[in-house]
This record gives sequence, C-alpha cells and structure tokens, in this order.
Amino acid sequence: MTLPPMNEVIPPEVRERLERLVDELPYNEEIPRRSGDVAFNHAWEIRAFAIATAMADDGAFDWREFQRELIRSVQAWESNNDSTTGWSYYDRWMEALEKLLGDKGMLDAEELDRRTAEVLATPANTHHHPPAREPVAIVPSRAGEGRPLE
Amino acid sequence: MTTQDPHPVSGTFPRSDDEIAARVKAMESILVEKDLIASDAIDYMSSVFENELGPHLGARATARAWVDPEFKLLLLADGTAACREIDIGGIQGEEMIVLENTEDVHNVVVCTLCSCYPWPVLGLPPNWYKYPAYRSRAVRDPRGVMAEFGFDPGDDVEVKVWDSSAELRYWVLPRRPEGTEGWSEEELAALVTRDSLLGLTDATTPE
Repeated sequence: MTLPPMNEVIPPEVRERLERLVDELPYNEEIPRRSGDVAFNHAWEIRAFAIATAMADDGAFDWREFQRELIRSVQAWESNNDSTTGWSYYDRWMEALEKLLGDKGMLDAEELDRRTAEVLATPANTHHHPPAREPVAIVPSRAGEGRPLE
Repeated sequence: MTTQDPHPVSGTFPRSDDEIAARVKAMESILVEKDLIASDAIDYMSSVFENELGPHLGARATARAWVDPEFKLLLLADGTAACREIDIGGIQGEEMIVLENTEDVHNVVVCTLCSCYPWPVLGLPPNWYKYPAYRSRAVRDPRGVMAEFGFDPGDDVEVKVWDSSAELRYWVLPRRPEGTEGWSEEELAALVTRDSLLGLTDATTPE
C-alpha cells in the first residue's frame, strides 16, 4: 500500500464534489453545523457519515437511494414522536444506512447485531498498552538522528 | 427465527452512544471484510470533513493557559483536573498529561501501538495516526515527520516523543505565538490547530 503524505491536503475539486453530496441531502436544515460547516459531536457520527458518502462516491449505491431512505427514517421518527426530545440526525442516518444496505443484500441485520454485541463485549483495553511515563525517543538538540529508547 | 422482518427499524432506537458507536464500528468492519468498501476510502472521507470536529476543546484550554498563568500551572500539573475545571471532560478514568513546548524542548505525541487519541480534546486524529509506518517513523525520525508538516523546531531544540496510551493520553501545549499581546482567549484559540496540539507544528502565527 502506498501511503499518502502525512499532511495530505484534500484537492479543492474533490472537496467540492463531496460537499455537493451534502448539499443534496434531505432535511438539510437539520444537519448539525458549526459556522455553516457540517459538524459532528461524536466520533461515530463522522464514521457513519463517511461510510455512506464513501460507498456512494464509490458507486456501491446511488446517493438518491440513500436520500430516500433518510427521508423515510426521518418521517417515521416524526410520526412516532411529538416533540424534538431525543431527535438525532445521525441516529436517523444510521437507521437509513442499515436499511439500505440490508435491502441491497450488502449487510445482514443479524450479522450486524452479532458483530455489534462482539464489539460491545470487547474491553476497551484489549490491546493493552501500558502507560508510558517517559518519552519514547529524545532527539538531542543540534542532532538529526533519533535515539529510540527501549 | 420468524418470517417477520428481523430488523424492526423503529424499535432499535434510541440507542446509547456506546451502543450506536459499537454498531457503526461493527458495520464498518463487516463492509470492509466483504470488500464492499475500503477502510482507506472511509478514512479519506472522514478527513475531508474532519476539521468540522476540530480541536475546539484543546484550543480553548490552550488559549486559557496562555492568558491565565494559574490555569497553566494547573494544566501542566494535572491536565485532567484542569480540563475538568473548564468543563472539558475526558473519558472516564482517563488521565491526561499536557506537555509544554518551550524554547528548549519541543514535544511530539504518537501512539506507538494503536491509535490512542484524546479526540474529545483534539478532534479526530489525522489519517496517518493509525498507520504503523507513520507511527514508528514519528519515534525514529520526529524531525523528518515535522518537516512533512512544513515545520522545523530549530536545531538547538531538544525533541521529545511521547507515547499516548488508552490510560494515559498526552497532548502538547504549544508556545504562544508572538504578536498576540492583548488578544482575547477566543482570538487566541483560533490559532491553535490540531497539528500543534500533537506537536507536529507550532500554533499559527498571526499575519
């Protein structure tokens, strides 16, 4: 695998193409934003967002299909709730994505349930990484070479 | 097994944040395993929008430390407690250590093992943060890594690399840029980038 440069810059034309996906989303005014830009309050939200946009961008499904599911999910929520308490755009997003991928035979609901249970049962510290209270490397001044500490 | 819809859509919500975070993770792992989407493509898409989950909280704490010497002392002595004081909560039980950059010492943060990252403070990690090749390089050649970010801390500065883990997370207090005397905390916070909180660069110097 060729790794991109670490300080990878997103080309403006790519950014524009992807932002167009966002512009076309239904209930656009409901998308959480900060200073006009799409905003995420939890890491899972951007991950769910990225799975859907990446798959659409890759041609796994048509963006309009996702839009339709999102509309359905939002409408179903609105008809079952009479206040905005508990409203979350990305809950609806995830519901729509699960449904679409399920309908397309790309994701089996039971498999997803099972895998989710596995993730929840895995302790956060499985890859135990003990606290390191000293630096792992010190590069002295006026020197170019690293000196990894064991 | 019944013939009913095995996935009662309206019954599955609301979920706790842990549950839904696990579900997203599970979905991603299944899709990647089935080769329906590449993990890289998801990473890339996150990076396009990542600055929207920016390092707001870390920037706020940094700006406060620049204007309030007492807060700075507390931040460096007990990062977890200092952040709690300005309503920045870590994940439970998580210890944070804040490393001060000075004229003589420049600090860089990596996670050598996985991708331990205090994202509530720093926003989303950069893509490379989880690639083994990059992680080991940050230990072996931190100056080279900083150069990729267009940054040179100067030859007369000692560079220390710190290994962040799930129980003990590091972030960097960058030096306050010159020419910012009398700036408000809000103005100062805007100069603090994610990369500067990882020690890959300095904070932005005003024009």
